[in-house]
Amino acid sequence: MKLSGLVHSLLTFRNLRTRLTLLYMGLFTLALIFSAVAVVTAVTSSARHMVRDEMTSAGAVYGQLWEARSSQLRQGAGVLAQDYGFREAVATNDEPTVRSALDNLRARQGVDGALILGVDGYANSTGVAPDAAALDALFKGLNSGGLESGVLTIGGQPFQVVAAPVNAPVLIGWVVFAERLDAAQMRNLEQLSAIPLSAAVVMNPSQTSLGQPAIVETGEGPSMRLAHALPSFDPAAQAALMLTYPLDRAMKPYESLFLWLTAIGAAGLALLMGGTWVLSRGLTRPITALDEAVHRLQQGEYVEAPVTSADEIGRLAASFNAMVGDLKDREARLTHMALHDQETGLPNRLSLERQAGGHADAWVVLFGVDRFEVVRNAIGYDSMGRLLAVLGARLSALADGAPMARVGAGSLGLVIIARNKAEALEAAGHLASAAQAPINVNGAPVDIALTAGVAGHGAAGSDLTSPVDRAAIALDQARAARRTAAAFDEIAYGDPGGNLSLISELMTALAEGEVSLAYQPKYDFRAQGVTGVEALMRWTHPRRGAVSPDLFIGMAEETGHIRPLTEWAILRAIEDQKTMAAAGHVLTVSVNISGRLLSDESFADFAVNEVAASGADLCFEITETAVMDNPEMALRIIERFADAGISVSLDDYGSGLSSLTYLKRIRADELKIDKSFILGLDDSARDALLVKSTIDLAHGLGLKVTAEGVETPTALALLRGMGCDMAQGYLIGRPAPMAALLDRLAAPAEEAKSAAV
Amino acid sequence: MRLILALLIALAYTAPALAGDLTISVRDSAGRPVRDAVVTVHPASGVPRGPIRFPWASRVVQQDVQFQPYVLIAPVGGTVVFPNLDRVRHHVYSFSRGARFELELYGRDETRTHTFSNAGVAALGCNIHDQMLAYIKVVDTPWAMKTDSTGDAVLRAVPAGAATLRVWHPRLAGRGNEVSQALAVTAAPARRTVSGDFSARAAMR
Repeated sequence: MKLSGLVHSLLTFRNLRTRLTLLYMGLFTLALIFSAVAVVTAVTSSARHMVRDEMTSAGAVYGQLWEARSSQLRQGAGVLAQDYGFREAVATNDEPTVRSALDNLRARQGVDGALILGVDGYANSTGVAPDAAALDALFKGLNSGGLESGVLTIGGQPFQVVAAPVNAPVLIGWVVFAERLDAAQMRNLEQLSAIPLSAAVVMNPSQTSLGQPAIVETGEGPSMRLAHALPSFDPAAQAALMLTYPLDRAMKPYESLFLWLTAIGAAGLALLMGGTWVLSRGLTRPITALDEAVHRLQQGEYVEAPVTSADEIGRLAASFNAMVGDLKDREARLTHMALHDQETGLPNRLSLERQAGGHADAWVVLFGVDRFEVVRNAIGYDSMGRLLAVLGARLSALADGAPMARVGAGSLGLVIIARNKAEALEAAGHLASAAQAPINVNGAPVDIALTAGVAGHGAAGSDLTSPVDRAAIALDQARAARRTAAAFDEIAYGDPGGNLSLISELMTALAEGEVSLAYQPKYDFRAQGVTGVEALMRWTHPRRGAVSPDLFIGMAEETGHIRPLTEWAILRAIEDQKTMAAAGHVLTVSVNISGRLLSDESFADFAVNEVAASGADLCFEITETAVMDNPEMALRIIERFADAGISVSLDDYGSGLSSLTYLKRIRADELKIDKSFILGLDDSARDALLVKSTIDLAHGLGLKVTAEGVETPTALALLRGMGCDMAQGYLIGRPAPMAALLDRLAAPAEEAKSAAV
Repeated sequence: MRLILALLIALAYTAPALAGDLTISVRDSAGRPVRDAVVTVHPASGVPRGPIRFPWASRVVQQDVQFQPYVLIAPVGGTVVFPNLDRVRHHVYSFSRGARFELELYGRDETRTHTFSNAGVAALGCNIHDQMLAYIKVVDTPWAMKTDSTGDAVLRAVPAGAATLRVWHPRLAGRGNEVSQALAVTAAPARRTVSGDFSARAAMR
């Protein structure tokens, strides 16, 4: 396991440097092995060749030595054999003389043994004592073989034997010299050779190929061996000079060479390893540094990779650094853009929020330029930008250098430190007032007025997490209240977020029956009774309870849900009118129609169709203001209602912008005077005059008049006196569900009493 | 004068020989004629008394560093002369048993003699010139002749009756380089062929 892991890690080095080093070392080792094999092979081959040549030449030299010695011995023997006296002694069998002559010559020639062998085969020897077998072989060789020199084994010992014939005058015998082929003689031969080979004369060598060097296994390991054939007296016993040379000894002179080669190889390997290590360090260190730099860059740190060389890696590091610089610049630019307004160069809303977030006593003050659009349209966009920049600088200077941010098109903001709301508000008011001097734009002074909104850190759970948002609302609230500065009023702001969720619930509420219609009666002075009712929408929310109609109807208008709501009301009113009629009360039912629906032809289709289909007696209450938004279409739709037999009532007359032009053009049947006039009718002579005039004007235009907000009998009496047609209000009856309305209508006594007043 | 004498001798021998001429033909084992083989016959009745004379000169010449003839038949008690016709000197010797002699250095036109008193073979050599070799066959019978180049030897006037035929040659295999056969000699001329092994070495006694 451990081994396989090691192998795996070696094969998949995570380190470039280790990989490089090992790769180079491996290649170099391979080359070393190849060259070592080549050197060893060449040296071995050369050594073997040398040994072979040396052996062959040693064999040849020995052949010549043999011949020379043979010839020398033969000469000596010949001299004796030709000596007349010796011949005579031999011929006459003078044995003592023969022996003495042999001894004499043996001593002179320095040979080991000498003998005279007669042609009859009998021998007379000195120095050696040849046995019968040796004599037999010798005689055979001399007598029939014609051999005069050769190897003869005497007493198990090889001898070099040379013979010379004794002719007296015919052959009577041979003078034979025998010289021992002993270790000493072999030593002499060995010394003649250039290489320290060992020589021996052997009989019957096992080696079959004579004269050819061959490699055989010996006690000293593989050896080169050469058998050089020698003449032998015994034809059955082949004689040979055996030269042997162990190859180990041949390789000995090269051992130091091999040692040196090994040492040089090892040194080269070490040098290469060190060099590669150093080189790869130089190579990989910048890469490692780059690698590290990239890692740190990934973690958002701007680092410089060291540029240590001018090569590709150096250029890469330089490019990397340039890239990091670009990134840094770009991020700085983005950050600046994120935190600054492009038009004025001032810090922006985000910057302001950050600034406010840092301090518990921080208050955001927003300064709004009053009538911003008007001023901007008057002096132009560019100039407005400059104006805001100047204003910002001025406010900043007034606020002791606090940085000024541009939050919206016409609003600037800064953060002040104040202990409480009152202090903050005072400071804001002071700043707004102090900065209101005219500003010179392109040489022309521009008057500006400022309103300030102040907000601190909001309470937990508020929808408005940003103090800037709250300050913006506070600014609106200040403007609405026509004050120079106002703090954020949470209660006044309400809960727009929660309201928004109501809208989504409204449609469900319609289906679930949570929405209902309440009816407020309208009293007809001439008929002296209730002749009509105004249908008012009521929503009883399961959790919230009663939801203000102003709230949900206003929101339905804003969010486009007013049409389904109104359609539902019309259908409901038609149904209820039938119910009322069934109860014996024929009443005109008024339904409030939003101004937004006066531009909706399909709604008009719906209303006209439904009324026509049911034959209901409906009155649509619309406001004069609603008509002004899109007069052409509104007037046309109103015409269609009128044509369809639907009465049209102008609601809340006098509260908004009342235009006689529209009053003239709208084909209405009724005019409802806003309750604000009626409520002051008791006390104010002016209101009474206005009401009287309005009633007269309406009557002049052929319109009936209904007074809203009739709460006192006095008002009712006054209205009656003024010739008002109808009255509506708490005095007449509060809005009530249809069942309660029907009950009330069933008791006319009370109403009669009121009318009597 | 000497020539006439010789003729007379020849005639004296010729007459009885006509009746019983014996031709011996010597052949080697391959059937080739062998020359210089010495053929002798010893009649059972014995040889006549008195000195034996042969018609050829009892002489071995040294000429051109060679003995001439190679084989000389000499009678027992006969004296052989050794004239030196060469300009170099010679030293003639024989170590043969019964015929041992030595003629020490002698020069041109010098003649030495030796008398052979025993029958046998004397191998002649020259102590100076090893290649010089000749044989003197000393016989004790008048019926002796050496074969010529045809391998034939003719013995004349051999008395009829039983006899012993001997053939000697330095290369003939046999005891003392000699073979012997019994022979019945008739009055009529006869011819006999003797074959032998002529590859032996000359024996020395």
